[in-house]
Amino acid sequence: MKRQLPGGGWPFSGDTAQTAVEPTALALLALPSSSVRERDAAIGFLIRTQNPNGSWPPFRGDDEGGSGLTGLALYALTCCCVEGTMTSRAVQWLIESRGWESHWPWKWKFRISDRHVRFNPDKFGWPWMVETVSWVVPTAYSILALKHFRGISQQDPVQFRIRRGVEMLYDRICPEGGWNAGNGIVYGFSLAPHPDTTALALLSLLNEPPNDFITTSLGWLERRAETCFAPWSLAWTILALDTFGRPTALLTDRLSSVVDNAEVNDCATLAVVSLALRRATGDNAFRVPHET
Amino acid sequence: MKLDRRTLLTASLGLAAGASTTALLNRPKYHVTRRQPRSRVAILRAESYSRHLGTILRSGLELFHLDLRGKSVLLKPNLVDYIPGSHINTHPLLVCAAVECFRRLGAKNVLVGEGPGHQRDTELVLLESGFREELRQLKAPFVDLNRDELIVTPLRATYTGMKQLWLPRTALEADFVVSMPKVKTHHWSGVTLSMKNMFGVVPGAKYGWPKNILHWKGIQESILDVCATVPVHFVIADAIVAMEGNGPLSGHPRPLNRIVLADDPVAADATCARIMGLDPTRITHIRVGAEFLGNVSTERIDQLADVVSPPASPFDVVPEFQYLWVTGSAQRVS
Repeated sequence: MKRQLPGGGWPFSGDTAQTAVEPTALALLALPSSSVRERDAAIGFLIRTQNPNGSWPPFRGDDEGGSGLTGLALYALTCCCVEGTMTSRAVQWLIESRGWESHWPWKWKFRISDRHVRFNPDKFGWPWMVETVSWVVPTAYSILALKHFRGISQQDPVQFRIRRGVEMLYDRICPEGGWNAGNGIVYGFSLAPHPDTTALALLSLLNEPPNDFITTSLGWLERRAETCFAPWSLAWTILALDTFGRPTALLTDRLSSVVDNAEVNDCATLAVVSLALRRATGDNAFRVPHET
Repeated sequence: MKLDRRTLLTASLGLAAGASTTALLNRPKYHVTRRQPRSRVAILRAESYSRHLGTILRSGLELFHLDLRGKSVLLKPNLVDYIPGSHINTHPLLVCAAVECFRRLGAKNVLVGEGPGHQRDTELVLLESGFREELRQLKAPFVDLNRDELIVTPLRATYTGMKQLWLPRTALEADFVVSMPKVKTHHWSGVTLSMKNMFGVVPGAKYGWPKNILHWKGIQESILDVCATVPVHFVIADAIVAMEGNGPLSGHPRPLNRIVLADDPVAADATCARIMGLDPTRITHIRVGAEFLGNVSTERIDQLADVVSPPASPFDVVPEFQYLWVTGSAQRVS
């Protein structure tokens, strides 16, 4: 809370004053409900930072095209029971925003000439930036937001985009389970998954019908966690495993020990660590009721 | 050889497309000229990654008579991911040797900074690759360029058609930027050397993981725009164990036992390409970069240490880049 800036947002680095959406949204999720003043300030920052088209930029001062963090901002706000025109516009933007591979000229490019990365362009999610293809993190954030929003209001287009996004995640999975940025196989070679991305993808797949993609990825994440000491990845791992009912007590102890002995300067990491440690009290910001 | 109409038509279209692409790239689109009349390159021998690298590097840097007193130095290694047993990152011992050398040369401060393109958890890469511990012992600060404070910056070349990029303050404010690539082949750009390495200053916090906009705007074009905007003052290339084949992640180690130093990124990359058995003038960003960022011709490059010796067989590359092999060079041995 000490690092919250006067405008209500948080920067990535504790050394700068450039407020950004990702650390702010994660911090908002991590703040205890008793911190009313800080939560209100964070909500105010997100409301002021929203673009006129309903999206969010990655940081204050960026252009108004929208970013792959729109889903996270919306998720954080709806978890704080913020609703209204602002969230409706955000949902509408998420419905309309899609990876460039879903547009027919590029779809055919990937089908016919550009086939070194194995993926199906019919299964699309959300990009980091407009006019680029879908990637795992923005897709997972967007699915989380839309599933949570669906808990509030049913809309067919929302359902359509959730299904496409889930299909995209399954399509981009790494052969050994888990996800990296979104390239499972390139030039015939399997690429390795990453723990943080895998955890986030799994969180967005909560309540999907059980399947091998989820089971294999949970298994990979559990094995990977055995040798993971980096706070960001470890915290996301704890949140995902806990959400799926897997034991995390040892990992939580390790995370506590790691952050006690290291100076974590990154506010987004601090926020996810707080979320993971708060989970020990039974409070998991990602274990929310949402429909499939 | 018998040509049917379809083949002829396809070939003509291909030639036309190639010619138009080349014509587009060949139009001067730079607003800055950094090419010096002559460039200096030093190829140093280094048999392995060891604590002796400091001595080797120091002797190499002395050849350049750098005056860094009071200057802030940013070392930009290539950190992609950590895959046990793989040689995908600039080795931490080389980076730490560079930190010590630049401190000895009187630099006001020496930072290490990188913004990995695929792995969001930079700290994970630092921890698992051994960087974090080595940097801690030296008390050398590391800046995650993906999450640094950003400044909107007009581009000083417009090959991509973009007018500006948000770039990290740390990279823009450094007095002396040292690109420290791992010498590798690359399945999208042919090679990844000191110029391609500068993709790491483009922040993920704005452009995502990966920095996909640079691919859509053209990798070769993006390299030129980024290098025009964030000047590379010096290069220390890790070619002790390089990578060939399906780089930058899935290639095979290829020992070259060399470190390449240069005061010009184009000359550095041209020299690295030559010791990989590749023709630098066929690599678009090196060839076009030679118009305004540095020198590619051997006649304009002073070799201060070892001479360039092409390998017995050129580096393996993905099929699309086999045209980079030097014509008449030894055939690759499978």
